[in-house]
Formats: sequence, C-alpha cells, structure tokens
Amino acid sequence: MSGNIASTAKSTTAATAREVVVVGATSAVAQSAIRLWAARGATLALVGRNQDALDRVAADARMRGAASASTHAGDLADLVFIESLCATTTPAVALVAHGSLTDSAHAETSAEYLDYELTLNFVSAAQWAQRLALACERAGGGTVVAISSVAGDRGRGSNHAYGAAKAGLTAFCSGLRARMATRGVHVVTVKPGFIDSPMTAHITKKGALWATPDAIAEGVLKAIDRQRDVVYLPGFWALIMLIIKHVPERIFKRLKF
Amino acid sequence: MTPLSLDQPWGRGYRVSHEHAYAGDAPLPTSNFLPRGLGRSYGDLCVNDGGTLLHNFRRDRLLAFNNVSGVLSCESGATLADIAQVMLPRGWFLPVVPGTRYVTVGGAIANDVHGKNHHVAGSFGGFVESLTLARSDCATAVRISPDHPRFATTVAGLGLSGLMLDTDIRLKRIPGPGIEQEIRLFGGRRSGAGIDGYLELDADSKPWEYTVGWIDTLDRDLRGVFFRGRHCDGPDEWLAPQPARLTVPIDAPQWVLGRWSARAFNALYYRLHATKTAQRSVIPIWPFFFPLDAVNGWNRAYGRRGFIQYQFVVPTLAARETVPRILAHLREAGVASYLAVIKTFGDVPSPGIMSFPMAGTTVALDIPAPDERDRRALDRADAMVADVGGRVYPAKDARMSAAMFQRFFPRWRELEAARDPAISSSFWRRVTADVHQKGPQT
Repeated sequence: MSGNIASTAKSTTAATAREVVVVGATSAVAQSAIRLWAARGATLALVGRNQDALDRVAADARMRGAASASTHAGDLADLVFIESLCATTTPAVALVAHGSLTDSAHAETSAEYLDYELTLNFVSAAQWAQRLALACERAGGGTVVAISSVAGDRGRGSNHAYGAAKAGLTAFCSGLRARMATRGVHVVTVKPGFIDSPMTAHITKKGALWATPDAIAEGVLKAIDRQRDVVYLPGFWALIMLIIKHVPERIFKRLKF
Repeated sequence: MTPLSLDQPWGRGYRVSHEHAYAGDAPLPTSNFLPRGLGRSYGDLCVNDGGTLLHNFRRDRLLAFNNVSGVLSCESGATLADIAQVMLPRGWFLPVVPGTRYVTVGGAIANDVHGKNHHVAGSFGGFVESLTLARSDCATAVRISPDHPRFATTVAGLGLSGLMLDTDIRLKRIPGPGIEQEIRLFGGRRSGAGIDGYLELDADSKPWEYTVGWIDTLDRDLRGVFFRGRHCDGPDEWLAPQPARLTVPIDAPQWVLGRWSARAFNALYYRLHATKTAQRSVIPIWPFFFPLDAVNGWNRAYGRRGFIQYQFVVPTLAARETVPRILAHLREAGVASYLAVIKTFGDVPSPGIMSFPMAGTTVALDIPAPDERDRRALDRADAMVADVGGRVYPAKDARMSAAMFQRFFPRWRELEAARDPAISSSFWRRVTADVHQKGPQT
C-alpha cells in the first residue's frame, strides 16, 4: 500500500507530494533504500548529521529518479531539531535508520560514552519514531519503519549496551504500533542480523550469516509494501533468535558471543 | 555493489592476507595500501599481499549530469553498471565499455580499459574530463585535468598515483537500447587460414562502430566467429538489463576443465553460431556488450584453482604473421583455452603513458589452472610478443616476469616516480622487483 503511495508521488508535483522521510540517510541501509525509492520516483526528505554527506546522497537520489530530495542536517538527538522538522513534514513513509554499533568495552569504562550511545540508539530513535508517527497521522496516514536489531532480542555480553538500546526501541515500536493502529499509521519493526556495512567494517571475518545493505533495503521496502509488523532480515534470523531466546539464562550467561 | 571477494582477484586461485580499510570513512592509510574497486582485475594488480586494501566500492554515488556537454560527475567507485542503467533511458551511454559492466569508474581509468569500439573511440581514459586525486603526501586533494602532469600517470596508472575521488567523464548520445548486429564466420576447412579471414572481415567492417571476434585457438585453422554492431533504437523493455538468472553456486570440479573439454566447448560454440551465420539481427544492448554478466560469479566455473587470462597485442604490421605463430605455439605446448577473443585496435592515442592498447591486433585467452608447463609456454609467448614490439595487458596478468614487463612498458619508471609513496600492489612489487631490491623501498 505504501509502495503505491511512493509511486503516486511521481504523478503529483514536488510541492504537494507526500514525502518519504529518512532519518540517518547516510547509513548504508538507508542509502540502499533511498536508491530503491528514487527509482520509484519518490519525493525524499533526507535527515542526517553531515551536510556534505547528505548532499551527495541527495544528488545521487535525484540522478536515480527521485522527484526531489531535500536535505536536513542537524544533531539527531536534539529535541528542537526533531520537533521542528517533524512539525513541517508530511510523510507517507518515514524510515528511522540511524544508529551506532556500541563498543561494549568502552561502554564499560566510560559512563559518558554509555550515556551517549543509549541516547542515540534508543532515546533519539524513539523520539523520531513518535514524532514521525504523529506527522504521518496529520498527513492522513502512513508508515513508520524503525531499524532495530536482532541484538535487541536478548542482551549479550559482547554488546549489552547496543542490545539494550535496540530492545528498548523494539518495545517502543511494538507499543507505538498498538497506539497508532486505529489512527491510520502503521509501524514496522525491522530486525536485521549482521550487515556488511561501514558500521561493521572492523570485523574482517564475515561468513554466510552476513547480508549486504542492498538485500536488507529490499526487505525493508517489501515489509512496507506488505504492511508487516515485525520482520527479521534476512528471514532465517527469526529461527536463530527463537533458539537464542530459549537458551536458559544459567547457560546463556556463560556463552561468549 | 559489493565485490565477490574482498581478498582474491577475479582469476582466483590463490590466497592472500590483507588489512581492509574503506575509502571515505577516515583519512588515507599512511603506508602500504592499494585503492581497489570491485576487484575485477584477473591477477595480482588488485591485490596487495601483506598490506592494506583501501576499498572504494561504497563511494559509488552519481552526482550530476550536464545534458548539453554529456559530462557525468560521479564518485570514482560508481559502477559502469549503474551509470549505464541510469543514463540509457535518457539516451546516453558510456563511451567505452569493457566485457563486464561490474567495474568501477576508478578501475576503468586506472587500467585505461578498452572495448569493442577501440578502433574508432580509443580507450576509456580519453573520455575523462577531470578527476580529484588524493595522495598520502598531499594535505588536500587536487583536481586534475588532461593537461595536469599527474593525469598521464593516473590514466593507466594501475591505481598507484593516488586515490581518485570524484570524476567527470564524457558520455555519448545513442539512439536507443538496441544493437544492430551481424555475425560472420571465418576460417573453417573451406576457407583458408582463419587469421586472413578475420583480418579481411575486420578491414571490411570500418563503418561498424563495434567489432570483435571469437577465435578457436585449439583449431589448427583458427576458425572463429566475427561480430559487428552499431547502436540503434529498441523497445523500452530493453532499457533495463535482465537480472542475472544463472549463478555458479560452487567451484566446478577440476576434471571438467582439461583441454579435451575446452576442445568440445569450442567446437560446440562454433557450431552454434554456424547455424545462424550471416544474419543481421537487432538485440538489446546488454547481452551484446556484457554476455558473461548474465551469470553471477562465472569465475567459479573455472574451479577452485582459478584461471588466468593472457591478453597480448602485436602491432598491425606484425599481426598476420605473429598472431597465428603465438597461438600455434600455445596449442602445441598443450595450453587449453576457452573462448579466446580477438580484436583490432585503432591508433587513437591514450592520455596514459602506461596504456595497454596500441594500433594492432589483440588476443585474450582464458587458461584454467595453469601448471608449470603452461607458465613456461606463456613466458615463451611473452618473448614472441616483445620481439615484434607488442605488449601483455597488466589488468589480466598474474605471471609475466619483471624483465618482460619492463620491455613492454619502457616508461614504467615515470609511473614509479609518480607513484604515491604509500601505495603499492602485489603486481607492482613483482614487475619492478629488481629496482626495489636496489633502491630504498617504501
């Protein structure tokens, strides 16, 4: 359904077209998704931290067929920035894709770093999802998609801070979906597994479990088109996480992963 | 687009160990790194054993296009595949394409790639308007155009002159997504030596923008199939390529790759075309230029031990005599080869001092899992090429000696002088081995 909204954007003028809003537009998955939307002729509003990087993503989107692509640079955790942007946008689809893979060892020693990471990965993501859901409602309905993670399904010793923030985001989106269910706004929670992207560039050994940002982005658009609630990407992670969630804590706490 | 392997070259066959870095994430590495696109070079040109690979494939954004001049601005990691797909519906195409569209613009410039239109258009480097070059010994990146001294060592510079950032390349207008193609046979028992037949057809095809031949190097008579084509319009469905339907999921077992299967394969390929000879047809642009792109990971069909490609060029005057002599030598030495490609280059000069093409005839052979005997035969072929003033193509190479390389490319010292002191490759260390031993190594 939302796929139809994105494609109808082509037939209306840029000024009145319902937008696809992307927060964290320079992330690898977001860039891949933006290319797919651009090929459908969407009107894009791209939000990120770095103006120069956003300009490049926007230029690329226009070259690849976007009806238009505006850029909005700012601190993604800044409430004033979130409020002012969400007050003026009229999204048909909103993707919340920003995040940072927390270094657990650093988070253990630095309280400031832990606070920053939790704020970015959970608090700011939840704020964006909430504000954008209301913006969708005002615009007459739409879809909010949040990129959570399989890491949010259970806290692991190797990434407890990242996992906790994503667990929070997953729970928040589940509740937001229920709140918005009768108000014309659908909320999709996407839980990718390992993605081969700049965020994970430091991990050199990548096996069969790793997916490309392009594959994840295709899954994201499919989940929107089919109005799914929660999707694991790729799908086999649903099975892996089902098993991981059922390992007794007595054993789980001794596992090194 | 992601490379099939972050470590191995396209020809596969050996393991190397690398550190990996990504261009754009951080400042340039400070020592022993190599910029890399999609790793489609066949041998160690895209490998830096024991050093760092600076991956550039994520910097693949298209930035702007000027509808009047035809100049496209893009990041150097942009693929020819993306450019072709985005620009074709607007009536524009790349001025030069190699046999695969899965290469980056940076890789196409660094190897100064050529295509089926070399006889009229020259090589890719001739269509570079300007580019930004970042070097480890310069604080800021520099914009260079063809009159800049670094331009001649960046085009065909094998990635050694610095990391290319943004590039401006000139596209060409085309009438649509079709190719008018003609197929002719040459050689075979009834019509004398294959090479004469090929050269005649080629001389006869001057009005055709694209020409290429396939030649059966295992056949005494050098029979083959000649293709010529030109752009034409076609239905809108041809604007986008058909998605690859075939994937080679596993390495082919070694026993299917001997010379007997090569013989059988070549004979089958010839017969297939013999049944539809002399016909003129209109086909989509994609299979005409990129037939192998329809198969994902086709390099795996050559098995775990991989393959090498041997591509040489000999000057026009020597072609009629030298090409059959080299192919006969390889055949008699028992070197198996599938699908050898033959093409006549024109005399359009390249801006790069290390560019491979020269006016003359080039032949490219795939050789699966070469053994010691094959390698000795290829060394001998190198000498035959050098004796008539020809060259072997570095982008395809994995084995030529330093001495031969330096005969083929006498201006290599100029590239060595222009090389970013922090950049190196396994290929460059191999083919300049003796100087590295003498001089201080970086």
